[in-house]
Amino acid sequence: MPVNLALGHVSTDFLIAALMIYSLAVLAFAGDFAFGRPKRGAEASRTQVRARAGALATVGASGSPSADSGTAGGGDASVPTSMPPVPLSPLRAIMAAGPWVRAGMALSSAGVLAHAIAVVTRGLAVHRAPWGNMYEFITALTCFAAIFFLWVMVRYRAWALGVFVMGAVVVILGLAETLIYTAAGTLVPALQSYWLSIHVTAMTVATGVFFVAAALGVIYLVVDRYNRRVAAGKAQGGNGIIARLPSLEQLDRLAYRTVVFGFPVWTFGVIAGAIWADEAWGRYWGWDPVETWAFITWVVYAAFLHARATAGWRGRRAHYVQILGFVTLAFNIMVVQVFITGMHSYAGVG
Amino acid sequence: MTDLRPAPEVDDQPAIPVPDATFGVCDWLRWAWRQLTSMRIALILLFLLALGSVPGSMLPQEGTNAAGVAQYYKSHPTLAPLLNHLGMFNVFGAPWFAAIYLLLFASLVGCVVPRTFKLAGSARTLPPRAPRNIGRLPHSATYATSLPPGPALEVSAGMLGGHGFRMRHSGDGERWISAEKGYLREAGNLLFHLSLLGILVSIALGGLFGYKADKLLVAGATFTDTQSDLDEIYPGRLVTDSDFAPFSIKLDSFSASYVQSGPQLGQPSAFNADVSYTTSPGAPVKTDDIQVNSPLSIDGAKVYLIGHGYAPIFKVTSASGQPEYNQAQPFIAGTSGDFLSQGVVKVPDATPEGLGFSGVFVPTAAVSPDGTLESVFPAAANPRVSLIAYGGNLGMNSGPTQSVYELDMAGLKQLAAQPHVLSQGQTWKLPDGKGSITFVGYQQWASFAITHDPGQLPALICGMGALGGLLLSFLVRRRRVFVRVAAAPSGSGSVVRFGGLARTDASGGFEAEFASLAAELRAAHEQQAPQQETGD
Repeated sequence: MPVNLALGHVSTDFLIAALMIYSLAVLAFAGDFAFGRPKRGAEASRTQVRARAGALATVGASGSPSADSGTAGGGDASVPTSMPPVPLSPLRAIMAAGPWVRAGMALSSAGVLAHAIAVVTRGLAVHRAPWGNMYEFITALTCFAAIFFLWVMVRYRAWALGVFVMGAVVVILGLAETLIYTAAGTLVPALQSYWLSIHVTAMTVATGVFFVAAALGVIYLVVDRYNRRVAAGKAQGGNGIIARLPSLEQLDRLAYRTVVFGFPVWTFGVIAGAIWADEAWGRYWGWDPVETWAFITWVVYAAFLHARATAGWRGRRAHYVQILGFVTLAFNIMVVQVFITGMHSYAGVG
Repeated sequence: MTDLRPAPEVDDQPAIPVPDATFGVCDWLRWAWRQLTSMRIALILLFLLALGSVPGSMLPQEGTNAAGVAQYYKSHPTLAPLLNHLGMFNVFGAPWFAAIYLLLFASLVGCVVPRTFKLAGSARTLPPRAPRNIGRLPHSATYATSLPPGPALEVSAGMLGGHGFRMRHSGDGERWISAEKGYLREAGNLLFHLSLLGILVSIALGGLFGYKADKLLVAGATFTDTQSDLDEIYPGRLVTDSDFAPFSIKLDSFSASYVQSGPQLGQPSAFNADVSYTTSPGAPVKTDDIQVNSPLSIDGAKVYLIGHGYAPIFKVTSASGQPEYNQAQPFIAGTSGDFLSQGVVKVPDATPEGLGFSGVFVPTAAVSPDGTLESVFPAAANPRVSLIAYGGNLGMNSGPTQSVYELDMAGLKQLAAQPHVLSQGQTWKLPDGKGSITFVGYQQWASFAITHDPGQLPALICGMGALGGLLLSFLVRRRRVFVRVAAAPSGSGSVVRFGGLARTDASGGFEAEFASLAAELRAAHEQQAPQQETGD
């Protein structure tokens, strides 16, 4: 079937719209930093802390913030009741987070919508999964990263991270748009397989997720470095930006859970790739440069997961490992697939 | 205080003793084994594995790119032998690479086997006693109910049992329940690591009993899957002749389609190799269309389309007019995609002397501004050949086996100073009456890879096992909850204290689970309560 060029242009227009809306969203998140209410930083640490506080209050047998007097069961009214807090609904949490966050989330959602439309129309224009070359791949992976990050932000109320992660999405998407734009086109026979949808989808999703994890890891390292400098007396405490960010422990947990989500997806992508390689090239694993680097990435993330369970490697060192994992992934995409000849040379760049 | 947390993850092993002068052989062996199976060494081995793979992607490898290795030898004559000595051109078969992954797997076994026993043990032992002060647990709830302590505890047991918790009940005099759930987490972790071992074994199986072979077929030609009929064979160590399936395949025709216009001009859009095949001599003939992503499965082997090109047909006559040669000769294209292809024609028995031609086949010829012949499109719309003729001894009756793509120039002399260009049907009368050569036309050829890998299915099963194990170990959390019921201070009803903790909660969510369990427990108590209330 011929490529639908008109639909291809629609896709490009939506992508540019998404890029502009994302930029506004980044501005809104930045505005939250500059003018938002500072006390909300502590609110993000709602999760475990409050649960524990409630429990301790009960032990002390004095009034507890979440206490209600147990009457329904007709129990002893002198026993203070404490029940674990039921989390606020996502929408109410966004509304409670202030006007800048509301604007940022609304714009991010609109941007993601435009971005998703761009990806879908590109797929309709070329009658296949819209990740057949580097430009399409980066467009799709930033879309998955943005969706996943919106989910993380809502799930963990981590509004303060928006400016960093969405900012990175804007930069990468903008570079892809300007440097490696590729018009909609057909694929070489080697890519004409339904495994393209399975293998590359998994790799794209996992890359988007690992991208979010790496961004969280970098923020972790920045906060960690600041805290250590304060402890050593080299910097003054009370930095406004740091104060708004989630605590080190929360950043660590967020990044870990993000990798935990991405790792099985990556594993599945590698296995699907092996099945496809067996179908197309006659072997399921052949140490092709791109395969080798996918393996290296897998091993480095496996090392991160193990590092978290190893004394002396938790925290900062583990995050260096995790960021190294994303560096190997980015190296695979930007260097190995473009400059090293192998069976995966489909980038269509240059 | 006893540790209430479910079985520790991995790290909390006792410290490894520092070697000293009193160490005997056994002590040293035990020390080495415990070092090897420690998480720290496993981490280092993982890094080494990643690092060791890097040269395998940066340098050409013998298995996948032998020509690249030869090229590297030419451009780095001093460095290349040194790298070769270090196994850098065959990284993934190198002893040092094998050492890394074998040590890693030894470390893995040393880690996994004791954990299997531990898991089996913990599945049989009961969870620890409930802590005295449940409020100190990371998650806890307290409420009063009008149920007396005994029934309140029974209701709790019913509710937790309904959720599949393994329970331990207090003896007389105390009223508590300890409950644990999520043993599948450890099981998943074990499954993951064992599956990785399984993948290694599957790869070894393929390496020992599988084979891979290549065959180039000009349209119209046939081959049989025997060691003598294949071009290149890479058999496993334990492969015998009987492992080759007795099928034969004829390439009826090959066609390639290309994008005809636009920015992707000349990019291939489809390759089809139409073949007829028989599974054994005398068996009925079947046909198939082999494509890049659609191999032919035949008798336990698979046949893949891996390459294609042009085979120009030449007719060569001797000086006397005697026809000496009339066949299609495969020419090999470079990597540029324009299918400018090179090859040679060898006519050793021509008279008065042997003839050899080195030629270039141009599928769609155009003359560039500087007067050279170039290919502007990969399909054969306007085919031309450019030939250089040589006369003399081709050296085919002596010396080592020659490549069919190269001339042995030692005994040859160039017959004409300039290359001669022919279009289809044209004949070139060679100088000095040495004979003539006619460019009759062309055929297409396709090259096939024939593989047989008995480790394939086991590897797939193990891959799925690894993924399943990974998901179990990430999604299932090992958690414990405790209920303590005490008589209310006022004398009627009781106070329920409910607490819980998760040792590992990789994907999060225990907090929410605990909140819903607590709400459910309270609701269960309240549901039973009204009957008591009427008695008040």
